[in-house]
Amino acid sequence: MSILAVYNIKGGVGKTATSVNLAYLASIQRKTLLIDMDPQGSASYYFRIRSPEKFGTKKLLKGGKHIERNIRGTDFPNLDMLPADFSYRNIDIALDDCKKSQTRVKKILEPLEEEYEQIILDCPPNLTLLSENIFYAADQILVPAIPTTLSILSSEQLYAFLDEIGLGHDKVRIFFSMVEKRKRLHTEVIQSMQGKPGVLTSSIPYLTDVERMGVYRMPVTASHPNATASRAYQQLWDEIQDDVQAQ
Amino acid sequence: MNPNSPETWLIPEDLHIDDLFASLKEKFALDVLPEYSAKIEYVDTFDWELYREKYLLHNNAGSWSLYHENTCSLTLEKGGPKLDSPCFSSDFPPGPLRDVLTPILGIRCLLPVATVLLAGQEIRLLNRDEKTVVRLIIERQQPEGQAYSYRLVRLVAVRGYDKELSAAQEILEENGIVEVVSALIGFEEACRCGGRYPLDYSSKFQIQLSPRSTAREAIGSIYLELLDNMRINIPGVMADWDIEFLHDLRVAIRRTRSGLSLVKQVLPDALVSRFKKEFAALGSVTGPTRDLDVYLKDRQKYLDRLPPALQPGLELFFDQLAKKRQAEQKKLVRHLRTKKISILFDDWQRSIEQEELHPAPKAQMPVLSVANPIIFKHYKRVLKTGLSVDRTSPDDDVHALRIQCKKLRYSMEFFASLYPKKELQVVIKHLKKLQDILGIFNDLYVQQTMVLETLGALNQERPTKTNLSISASLGGLLQSLYQEQEEVRYHFKEAFIQFTDEETTTLCHQLFKKKQVSK
Repeated sequence: MSILAVYNIKGGVGKTATSVNLAYLASIQRKTLLIDMDPQGSASYYFRIRSPEKFGTKKLLKGGKHIERNIRGTDFPNLDMLPADFSYRNIDIALDDCKKSQTRVKKILEPLEEEYEQIILDCPPNLTLLSENIFYAADQILVPAIPTTLSILSSEQLYAFLDEIGLGHDKVRIFFSMVEKRKRLHTEVIQSMQGKPGVLTSSIPYLTDVERMGVYRMPVTASHPNATASRAYQQLWDEIQDDVQAQ
Repeated sequence: MNPNSPETWLIPEDLHIDDLFASLKEKFALDVLPEYSAKIEYVDTFDWELYREKYLLHNNAGSWSLYHENTCSLTLEKGGPKLDSPCFSSDFPPGPLRDVLTPILGIRCLLPVATVLLAGQEIRLLNRDEKTVVRLIIERQQPEGQAYSYRLVRLVAVRGYDKELSAAQEILEENGIVEVVSALIGFEEACRCGGRYPLDYSSKFQIQLSPRSTAREAIGSIYLELLDNMRINIPGVMADWDIEFLHDLRVAIRRTRSGLSLVKQVLPDALVSRFKKEFAALGSVTGPTRDLDVYLKDRQKYLDRLPPALQPGLELFFDQLAKKRQAEQKKLVRHLRTKKISILFDDWQRSIEQEELHPAPKAQMPVLSVANPIIFKHYKRVLKTGLSVDRTSPDDDVHALRIQCKKLRYSMEFFASLYPKKELQVVIKHLKKLQDILGIFNDLYVQQTMVLETLGALNQERPTKTNLSISASLGGLLQSLYQEQEEVRYHFKEAFIQFTDEETTTLCHQLFKKKQVSK
C-alpha cells in the first residue's frame, strides 16, 4: 500500500497528466484509487466523471462512508476515482476548523488503504494547509517540474516549507516534465540538477499526445499505449516503483 | 451486487440479440467491443484440489489463467507447461502462479477436466458523457464436442453507478432474461460430458448412511463406495499420472479389508473369508511400488538429514531406488491388466448386491446396533493397549497400538454419518493426533528396517566404490532415523493422555455405548 501525491506549487506543469497516467499504469498491477483534490477537476474530466450531487468539502473531510459512497469506477477495471468538487476551493477554511487540522487528510485516507493498494492524489497548485495535510499523508511527493530557473526556485520553496513543518525532504521526488530538447535552457537546467538527491532520471517530453488527452478523455497510456509519451510515463512509473522497493 | 462476481442469466432461445440492443439503446449509448472467442481447457487434480479451494485453472492457447472465486483475483501466465501430458506444480516456471499452485496441488498432477468453446462480446453502456456506467457481457459457452450451447449475459457494475445498473437489469427483465444460472455452466456441462462432475471424488472417505437402514444395507453401500474408489483410481495407477492414485487405491483396499474383519456376521463367513484373501492378495501386489514411492517422494528430506559429504552416496542409492520403482511399476501394470482384477471386482459387487443369496445372522439388525459395539470394542482396546505403552516399550507394542488405532478410526469413519458431527469430530481429532505420532514412529521404524536390509544385501556384494559410498550414507541415515525415533517416543504419552481426557472419554461413552437401538 502506498500513497503518492503529485504536487507542485506552480500550475500548468503537467501535474494532472502525470496523475492520470500513473494511476492508469498502477491499476494494471493493483487496485488503485485516484483522488482529484484540485477544485478545477481536470482529472475527473479526463475520466468523464462528474462530481456527485451531494458531495463536497464537508463530506470529504468527514471521511468514511461519506467518501466511499462517492467513489466512482472509471472505464478501467482496477481504477476507481474520487472526483473533485468545486467547493474544494475553500477547503483550507474548512480544514482550519477541524481538530488536528494538519493530519486530517491522512486520517480520512486510512480506511481507504484497506481497499486500495495504491492511492494517487492529484493536488492543487499552492502551498496551504491542504498541501501540508497532503505532505503528512503521502508516502511520496512526486513533483513534476518544467526545467526552468523558476521551477528550481519553486522546488526550493517546497523544501523550505517542509523544513518549516519539520518533515524533511525524504519523501520528495522531482522529475522533469514538458521537456523540450531543442530549448537550451531546458537541457542546461536538467544537466545542473542531474544526480541531486530526490531527482529522478526519467522525464516526460513535451508532446502533443499528452495535450490531446483532453480530446480522447482518457490517459494516453490507455488510448495509445505505444506512443512516445506512454513509454515515457511507463519509464517514470517503473523508476518510482524501483525507488519504493529500494526504500 | 458485488461488482466483481455478477449474476449470470440465461438468454431465452427466442430472444434476438438485436432486439435486446434496441431496448438498451433507448436508455444508453452502446459501445460494442470486438468479439472474442477462445477454447478454454480447464484442468484440476483428480480429487479437485483447486476447485475445492475455489480456484479454476485453465489454459487458453498456451496461456494459463488462475481465477479465485471469492477474491476474484486472476493470475495470468504466458507459457508454462503444455497440456499434452499431466503436469505438476513444479513444471510451472517460478512466479506467482506456481506459488499459489504448489501448496494446493502438493504431489498431485493436473489433468484436463473440461474443454469449453467461448465466444462473447463486451458491451459498454455509456451515459451522456460517454462514460461507461455498466458493462454487459454476452457469451456463448459450448462444451466441446456438444451440439448445444448456452447463451449467457452478465452485468458488471461500475462503482458509483447503481441506478444505471438497476435500469439495465430492468431492461434485461423486460426482454425475458430472468433465469439465473451458474457462470460456469459451460464448465460444469463439459465436465459432465467427460464423465466427471466437480467434487465427484475425494480421497477422504465419506458416505451418507441412514440410521433406519439395516446393517446389511449400510455395510453394502460402504463396500460399494470403496469398490468404486478402487475402480476409479486404477486408470491413474496404470498410466502412472501421479503417486496418489496408487495410494488411494491401496487405502480403499485396506478399508475394505478392515471392514471385512471388523464387521462380523453381516455377510456370510465363507464370503468374508474368500474376499479377505482376495483383497489381501491385491493389496500385496500394490505394495512394492508404494513402498518405493514413499521413499522417493521424500528424497530431498532424506538428503537433508545427512552432512554434505555423505549426500552423493545417498543420491546414488535413490537413483537405484528410482530404477527399481520403474521395474515394480511395470510389474504392477501387468498385474492390473489381467482379467483377474475385473473378475474380482465384478464378483465382489454381485455378492454385495445380491443380498438374498447371502444371508447372515446380523444382516437385518439396525445399523447402529451393529456399529456401536464395534466402535466401542475397539475404543476399549486402544485404551487398554495405550495404557501399557510408554517410551520404554518395544517397537512391536507401539506397532500393535498403531494398528488398533487404525481399526478404531476406520470403524468410526465408516459409520460417521450416523453420529452427531461435532462430537464425533472431537474424538477423531484427538485420535488423529495420537495416530500421527504413532505413524511417524512406525515410518521411522520401517525406514530403519529398510536401511538395515539394504546394508545387509550390500555386504553380500563386491565392495565397489559405489557400494561403499552408499553404505557410508546409509550408516549416516540410520543414525539420524534412530535419533528421531527416540525423540518421538517422548510424545506418545501426551497424545494418549489427551485422547483419554475426560471430554473424549465421556463423548465416546455417550456416542457408542448404547445397549440396544430400536429400528
